[in-house]
Amino acid sequence: MKFKTFATFVGPSVVMMILFIALPLISVFFESFKVTQPIMQQVEVETCTPGFTGQTCVTSVKTIPVIGDDGKVETVTQWQGLESYRSVLQMEKVWAAIGSGNWSDILQIDFWKALRFTMMFTLLTLPLVIGVGLLIALTVNNAAKSFKGPVIFISLLPFIITPVIGSLSIYWLFVGDGILTAMMERWTGTNISMFAQAWTIELLMYFYRVWHVAPFAFVIFYAGLQSVNMDTLESAVIDGASRLQRLRHVIIPHLMPLIVFIALIHLMDCYRVFEEIVGFRSQAHVISLQWLTYDFLVPDDAGNRAVSRASASAMLTMIGIVLLLIWPLRRTWKEHRGGAH
Amino acid sequence: MLKKLALAGVVSLMGTTAWSACAFENTVEVKSLSAGFEAWKAVTDAMAECGNVQAELDQEFRTKQPAAFEANPSLYHIGGVSNGTVTPLLNSGTIRPLDDLVAKYGGHLQPNQLIKIDGKVMAVAMMVNTQHLMYREDILSDLDIAVPTTWDEVYAAADKIKAAGVVDYPLGATMKSGWNLAQEFVNMYPGFGGALFNDDNTAAVNNDAGVKALETMKAGMPYMDPEVLVSDSTYVQQQFQQGKIAMANLWASRGGAMDDEAESTVVGKVKMAAAPLAMEGGAPATTLWWDGIVIAKNITDEEADAAFRVAMEGMDEEMVKANNDAAIWLVKGFQPGPLSEGAIATATASPAAPAYPSTSRMGLMHTVLGNEIPAFLTGDRDAAATLVAIEEAYTTSAKEAGVLK
Amino acid sequence: MSSTSKAMRQSFGLRFASGAFLTFWCVIAAFPIAWIAIMSFKSPVDAFADSPWAVIMGPATRANGDGLSILDIVIGLVVIFFTIRWAFTKLPALVNQYASGPMLILGWLIGAAVYAVIFLLIFFGLLPLIMGPINGLLGPLGEPILGMTTQHYVAVWIENEFYRNFLNSMLVTAGVVTISLTVGTLAGYGLARSGSDFAFWLLILALIFRALPHSVLVAGYLPWFINSAEILRPIFGDLSPTLYGQPWAVIAVLVSINQPFTIWMLRSFFQNIPAELDEAARVDGCSHFQAFRRVIMPVMWPGVITTGLFSFLLGYNDFLVTSLLLDAQNQTMVPAIAGYFNRETTTTDQVEAVAAAVSITAPLFLLVMVFQRQIVSGLTAGAVKG
Repeated sequence: MKFKTFATFVGPSVVMMILFIALPLISVFFESFKVTQPIMQQVEVETCTPGFTGQTCVTSVKTIPVIGDDGKVETVTQWQGLESYRSVLQMEKVWAAIGSGNWSDILQIDFWKALRFTMMFTLLTLPLVIGVGLLIALTVNNAAKSFKGPVIFISLLPFIITPVIGSLSIYWLFVGDGILTAMMERWTGTNISMFAQAWTIELLMYFYRVWHVAPFAFVIFYAGLQSVNMDTLESAVIDGASRLQRLRHVIIPHLMPLIVFIALIHLMDCYRVFEEIVGFRSQAHVISLQWLTYDFLVPDDAGNRAVSRASASAMLTMIGIVLLLIWPLRRTWKEHRGGAH
Repeated sequence: MLKKLALAGVVSLMGTTAWSACAFENTVEVKSLSAGFEAWKAVTDAMAECGNVQAELDQEFRTKQPAAFEANPSLYHIGGVSNGTVTPLLNSGTIRPLDDLVAKYGGHLQPNQLIKIDGKVMAVAMMVNTQHLMYREDILSDLDIAVPTTWDEVYAAADKIKAAGVVDYPLGATMKSGWNLAQEFVNMYPGFGGALFNDDNTAAVNNDAGVKALETMKAGMPYMDPEVLVSDSTYVQQQFQQGKIAMANLWASRGGAMDDEAESTVVGKVKMAAAPLAMEGGAPATTLWWDGIVIAKNITDEEADAAFRVAMEGMDEEMVKANNDAAIWLVKGFQPGPLSEGAIATATASPAAPAYPSTSRMGLMHTVLGNEIPAFLTGDRDAAATLVAIEEAYTTSAKEAGVLK
Repeated sequence: MSSTSKAMRQSFGLRFASGAFLTFWCVIAAFPIAWIAIMSFKSPVDAFADSPWAVIMGPATRANGDGLSILDIVIGLVVIFFTIRWAFTKLPALVNQYASGPMLILGWLIGAAVYAVIFLLIFFGLLPLIMGPINGLLGPLGEPILGMTTQHYVAVWIENEFYRNFLNSMLVTAGVVTISLTVGTLAGYGLARSGSDFAFWLLILALIFRALPHSVLVAGYLPWFINSAEILRPIFGDLSPTLYGQPWAVIAVLVSINQPFTIWMLRSFFQNIPAELDEAARVDGCSHFQAFRRVIMPVMWPGVITTGLFSFLLGYNDFLVTSLLLDAQNQTMVPAIAGYFNRETTTTDQVEAVAAAVSITAPLFLLVMVFQRQIVSGLTAGAVKG
C-alpha cells in the first residue's frame, strides 16, 4: 500500500488522536516541569457574614491574587525542573526510611502507598481474571446447548453494567449492615465491618474487578474455543492424552494470543484503577495512582488545584504502564517482524 | 408521591387565593449554576416562575463555576455559592458588586443577608448552615442523661448508652476521609483555641490544641461504627433514621429528614441542641456557613439587572413560607421551628462559633487535613507525627499555589 | 466440542462439577444486579433494611398500601413467562418478516425496543388497572402480601424528567458509535494492509495513548472547552462556538479516547480477511477505496458489530468526560445518577437513584439479548486473534 493511500485511510483517526490525546499529553509533559502561580498580595479585608440574627464583621489580612488591567488574575510561570517529581516521590524520606530500616514508613508517603496498591491490584487480578474467564469459557462450552444462550447472557451482565452502578451495587451489599455482611455476621457470630480496615476493602476491590472483567475474558476465550482445531484434539485423544494434558498442550497454546491480548488490556485498565477507590470510598485506607492524580486536580473550595504535581504524577503513571507493557509488546513486535506483509 | 403532590397543589390553591407566581415577567435569558440540595431546588424553582430562567443544579459546580464565570461573556449569570465556594470567584474578580442592584430591587432584604467585602455587597445570603448536636431525646431521657454540652459529656453519655445497649452505636459522625473528615478537625481545633495559620501564611497546627483536637476526635471512635471513615452526612442521617445511633454532630440542613415519615423510623424523637464545646468557656466546636447568590461580572448591565431581579423573586417570603423546613433561612418570613433550635443556639452562643474562614490557604489546608488525618485515626501514625505531616504537606501545596514563597 | 465423539464424553463427576461451577458463577454474576432491581421497588425504609427478608417482602412498603396479592404475583409471573417465551419465538419471526439483509440489525433494534415498550405498558399500566378491582372482589386472597411500589420510577422518569437524560445519552452514544466505527474501520483497514514499521509504531503509540489516565485528559480539556468561543474568535469571528456543554464536542472526545481500542480490534479483524480478496479486486482495476467498498465492506459486518458494541458500552457508560464537559441541559444518564448520590441526598433520593440505575441497565440488557450471537460470532471470526 502506498504511503499516501495509507495516510488517507488512517488520517481521520490519527488527527482525532493527536488533537484529543497527544496534544494534552504533550502539555501535561511540559506542565510537569514548570509551575504557574498567581501573583499574590497581602491586603487587609473587612468581611461581613451573617450570624442568625446579626452580622459579624471581621477585619483580617488575606492573601489574594493580584488582578491585572485585563480583569484577569496575573500569573507567573517558572521552569522548575524536577521539583514537582521530587515533591511527589519524596525520595529523601524514602532513603531515610530505608536507612533506618523502617521500611513500612515508605508506605506513609502517598505516591508509594498508591504504587503499592496499584501494582498489587494489577498483578493479583491479572491471573484471577484470566483463570476465572477461562474456567467460565470452558464450562459454558461444556454446557448443554439449550442453556448456552441464557448462560452467556447472564455471564456478560457484570461486564456491560455501568461501572459506577456495578461498584455501588456491591458496595451496598456490604456496607454497614448490608445484607451480605449481616449474613456473614449471623454465620460467624461476630460483628463484621467490611469497610473498617484496609485488607477487607482491598479484598472487595479485587472481587469487584474480577467480577466486572472476567466476563470480558470469558467471551473472548469462548470465541477462541470455537475455533480449536478438532483434528488436533482428536489425535491427542488417540495418543492417550488426559483431559488436563489436552488442556495444557492443545487448548492453552491455541488461546495464547488471546491470553496475551487480555493481559495487555487488563494491565492497562488495572493500572489506571480509579472507580473502585471512589465507589468503595477507600481513600482512608488504600489509594491508587490515578486517584492520586485526580485528587491533585480536583479544585478545593478556594479553587486551588495542584496542576504541576498532578502532571508529574500522571507522567509517573504513564512510565509505569509503559514498563508493564514491555513484555506483552515484545511478543507483538516479534509477530510483526515475522508476519510482515 | 405524585398523588400527594397533586393534593398539596390543590390545597395550596384553595388556601391562598392570591397565588402569584412571580411579580414580573422576565424577558432576558438568565442562567444559574449552583449546588443541588433541597434549599437550592426551592429557590431555583421559585426563580423559574419568572420565565426564561434556566437553572442548573450541578454536583460538579465547584469545578465548573470558577472557569465558567471567567469566560467572556460568562456562561452563567447567577451563581449559587457558600462562604467556601465564593472565594475563587472573589479572588479572580469575576463577580460584580451588588450595591446598586440591592438599592433598586432589594428593599425586602434583611440587613444580615448582605455579604460585604470591604463595604461592598458581593453576595446575598439566603440561609445559614452549621453542624450541631442531634440526639435521640427518648433514649437520653430513658437513661436519665442530661443533654451534653461539651465533648467530654458527649462521650460520657455515649458510654452510658453503650452500656445500656439500646442502639447499635451511641455516636455517629461525618468522618468520611477527605472533605468531611477535615471539616471535623476545622470544627474541633478552633474549639480548643487553636489558630490554623501564622501571620506569614505558614501552618500552625503542630501544637497542644492540635494534639487535643486529634485526640478528642479519636476518643469518639470506640462509640462509633467501625466504618466511620466512609460515612458522610447522608450515611449518618440514614443511621439516625433507622434508629442505629443516638447522637451525632450533624448539619442543620439534615434536620428535616429526621421527621420525614416516608424514610424515618424515629419521627419526633430526634431533638437538636447547640454544638458541643471542646473546652469549658470556649466557643461551640463548629463553624458557621452561609449559602447565597452572586452575579457574574462579564455580562451586560441589563442581564445583571434581570438576573438579580429573578434571584430576588427566588428568595422572597413566599418561597420561604412554602419551604419553611428546608433550611435555616435568613429571609423574612422564616418561622424557626423545633428543628432549627440547635442551629440558632449554636449561632447565638457566647462566645459564638466562628464563620468558616474561607481563603486560598484555607482551601489548601482543608485538602491536606482530609488526606493526612485518616492515617492517625487508623492507628498508622501518632498525633505528633500526623501534625508534622500536615504541616509538611501544607507547605508543599502552598508553595506550588504561590501562597508561600 | 461435539458431544457425539465417544472419546470426548465426560464422566458424570466432571459434568457435575462443571455445571455446579457455572450455576455458582451465574448466581454471583446476576445477584448484585437483581438485588438493586428488587431494592428499586421498595419504600426507602425497606430498601435499606438489614434483613434480606424485609427487603424482599417489603413490610413498610406494604403498610403504605402498595403491594401485590397472591393473584397479582401469579398473573405477573405468567405474563413474564410468556414475554420471555415470545421473545425467543414470535419476535424473531416478526422481525424476519419485516426486515431482511442489512436492515436486519435495525429491524432487531426497533423490534426489541417496541417489544420492551409494549411489555412495560401492559405490565405496569394495564395489569394494575385490571387487578385493582379484581383484588378488591377477592377479599383475603386479594390482600397484598408482597410490598412493591413503582413510585420511584414515576418520580425519576416523570417528576425528575429523566427521559431528557435518556435522550441525551442516546444522542451521545449514537454519535460515538457511528463516528468511532467510520473513522476506525478506515484506519483499521489501512493498518492491517500496510506492513510498514510506521504502521506498527502508530499502533504502539495508540496503545500508549490508551494507557493515559482519563482524569488527566479531561481536566485538561475543561478550560479550553469553556473559553473556546474567546480563543476561536480571531479565526471564526462571532460564529465560534463554546464547546462546553455541546454534545458533539463530547462525542469527539469520546471517539478519540476510544480510537486506540477500536483500531486495534478492527485491524486484527481485517488481518483475518484474506488479503487475496482485495488484491484480486485491485488486479481488476479497483483503487484501494473501491476494493474496500466492494470487497471488504460486505464481509466486515461481524467484526464491526462487535467493535461497535464496545464503543456503545464506552459511550453509554462514560462518567468522567460527560459529567465535566456537559451542562445540565445536555447531561447524560450516568452523571445524572451520580448526581443523586453526591449532592446532599435523602434516602428517598438514593432509592430513586437505584430506580434510575435499574432503568439505565435495561437498554443494555436489550442490546446484549439482541446482539449476543453476533458478539460471539464476530469475535470468533477474528477480531480477537491478538
